[in-house]
Amino acid sequence: MPTVLSRSALTSTAIAVGLAAALVATGSSQALVIGIITGAGYGLVALGLVLVYKSSGVFNFAQGEFGTVAIYALYRVHDKIGVPLIPAIVIALAVSVAMALVTERVVIRPLFDAPRVALLVATAGVALLAISLELWLGEARPRFIQPALGRLNRLSLFDVAVSDQRMLVLAALVILAVVLALFFSRTNLGLAILGVSQEPVATELMGISVRRLSSFIWALTGLLAGIAGILTAPVAGSFAPGFLTSTALIPGFTAAVLGGMKSLPGAFVGGIVVGVAQSLAVSSPAFHSIPGAGSVMIFVLLLIVLTVRPQGLLGRA
Amino acid sequence: MSLEIQPQASPAVEPVADSIAVEVVSPPFRPGLAGWVARGVVMAAVAAVVFLVPTVRGNVEVHIYTQAVIYAIIGLSLNVLLGYTGQISLGHQAFVGIGAFTSAYMVTVQGQPFLAAIGMAMVVGGIQALVLGAVSLRITGLYFALVTLAYGTMAEESLFNIQKLTGGSAGQPAPKPMWFTTDLRYYYLCLAFLTAVVWVDWRLMKTKGGRALAAVRENPRVAATFGTDVKVYTLMAFVVAGVFAGLGGALLAHNDTFVVRDLFNFQLALVFVIMTVVGGLRNRTGVVIGSAFFSLVGYFFDKLFSGGLHVPGIKVLPKEYAPIVIGPMLLLFTLTRHPGGMGQRIRPIQRWLRGGRFSSRDTHDDPTSSGGERVSDVRA
Repeated sequence: MPTVLSRSALTSTAIAVGLAAALVATGSSQALVIGIITGAGYGLVALGLVLVYKSSGVFNFAQGEFGTVAIYALYRVHDKIGVPLIPAIVIALAVSVAMALVTERVVIRPLFDAPRVALLVATAGVALLAISLELWLGEARPRFIQPALGRLNRLSLFDVAVSDQRMLVLAALVILAVVLALFFSRTNLGLAILGVSQEPVATELMGISVRRLSSFIWALTGLLAGIAGILTAPVAGSFAPGFLTSTALIPGFTAAVLGGMKSLPGAFVGGIVVGVAQSLAVSSPAFHSIPGAGSVMIFVLLLIVLTVRPQGLLGRA
Repeated sequence: MSLEIQPQASPAVEPVADSIAVEVVSPPFRPGLAGWVARGVVMAAVAAVVFLVPTVRGNVEVHIYTQAVIYAIIGLSLNVLLGYTGQISLGHQAFVGIGAFTSAYMVTVQGQPFLAAIGMAMVVGGIQALVLGAVSLRITGLYFALVTLAYGTMAEESLFNIQKLTGGSAGQPAPKPMWFTTDLRYYYLCLAFLTAVVWVDWRLMKTKGGRALAAVRENPRVAATFGTDVKVYTLMAFVVAGVFAGLGGALLAHNDTFVVRDLFNFQLALVFVIMTVVGGLRNRTGVVIGSAFFSLVGYFFDKLFSGGLHVPGIKVLPKEYAPIVIGPMLLLFTLTRHPGGMGQRIRPIQRWLRGGRFSSRDTHDDPTSSGGERVSDVRA
């Protein structure tokens, strides 16, 4: 694992630095900074998607809703009931983990031997069920939320003023990336998950229960989605039913495809690439005449990767 | 030596073989006169509901029935993808929406006749499916789902906002064609289109391509070994699905006489998928019933619980959310517990109507049982 990590890490750092240099040189540093921070959120979603895909071979279309549920829980517990922020965040994350675990137990496990398309339809069904419950029990119109730190711009990156909320998001994502890297390379559980995702049969033969790990992987993806939801909703300023599905699911999938659907660092870097590309498309004057330029950009990016480099940016053919 | 033994052995074997043969080829079940009359009555009753009930209902209700017929066309389109190729489109709202806007644009802006507009919508639908399919079939797996999902969002946020083509948020008028200006006449027109779609679907599955798709579904490796070009036949199915979706969209546009972009959202795409799976993959009657059910559920939900369903202790469930609350629950139930969907439930009835016994047991010589009926028969 360490060799794989360093190899992909090197390549991805090289790509990221090259991209950043090019953008700063062309004077698009605003788009760059915003794109990196949004993209890191996509990267989190993509990490969860890749984890599930590697361990059970299914595209999890409910990933975005795991995160939206956390936002709704946080809003309920913190703003309505008045629980302090930190315990409220813990509760919210617990809710998204619980939702992921219930999904695994009720939907994924009965379909363990079913074809992959049945699983895919099932996860899409879970997503729609969550959205409909949010519409029914919550409210259909967008809710506005106050960022935890206000909208002060005390710090700047590449001469771009960045709101404290965005800085918080960036810091949280960097810490999370380090923690995840350590988890996958240093702990038995992390190594077992990597084993399952690379060689399920061999891992089973080594005495590791693939089914039990499956629950854990789903819990982890729920946690990642929950963190992504809680971090990105205040930056967006408002949320509505299906928030993370509509904002981050497709970019997340594109990021995962950029990473070849297999590599965890690749997915995270893919997220940043997608975020920067999207923010360039939205801010660049050349695309102003195109409505919805951001989603056009992501669609085109997905098509290009699938046609030109289906094994992903960092993958080997 | 052996030549002398053989004539002795064969008479001893043959009677045994005969007695087995007699047991297997039992005389086929044929209903008596009363049985045929009963079947005729049931068929006449179904036909009466479909053809006559709309004549005595108001225009608002006929408009909704027409929508149910159009949903059935869309459901059959998804059935081609999901049932025959095992691939899934999560952007079907875009296929349908583009069909609707194409037809509206052709009639309203270009002043073309209705049939030309519908033809154009079908061509555009087929081309879209071909291009997206060609890209996503480069890799094995379910990438068509991803590509169509991204395509659907792109269409929602970008294509449907192009003022010149769609009229922006105001929408585009799509008048009903000549001779079919009343809701009732348009209903019969849509029924005729549905019949055509069912017929085309049925005939296509009997062609070489249809049998190839069945072979690919049963076992892609074996099919490829026998020289079946998996990709070409899958792409063919994609095009058929795209054409059906374009037709469905165009009919939907002229039914509403006005196309608004907000109709074609992600939730709609998922409702399309749900109605097909719950209806029962590869069972045309099941898909038609499932689609009609999900098209009508909101309306009849409102009639049953006017003002919404009052769940004790929780908020009222309003009618516009009824399909998307009920749908996913039925979907998950269908997938995990009852993979045949509604199609499996109605199969005994279908068998009985065709002059067989009323039994849910599959027999090998039964033509209605061909093609399997479980969602989990589909291979990725």
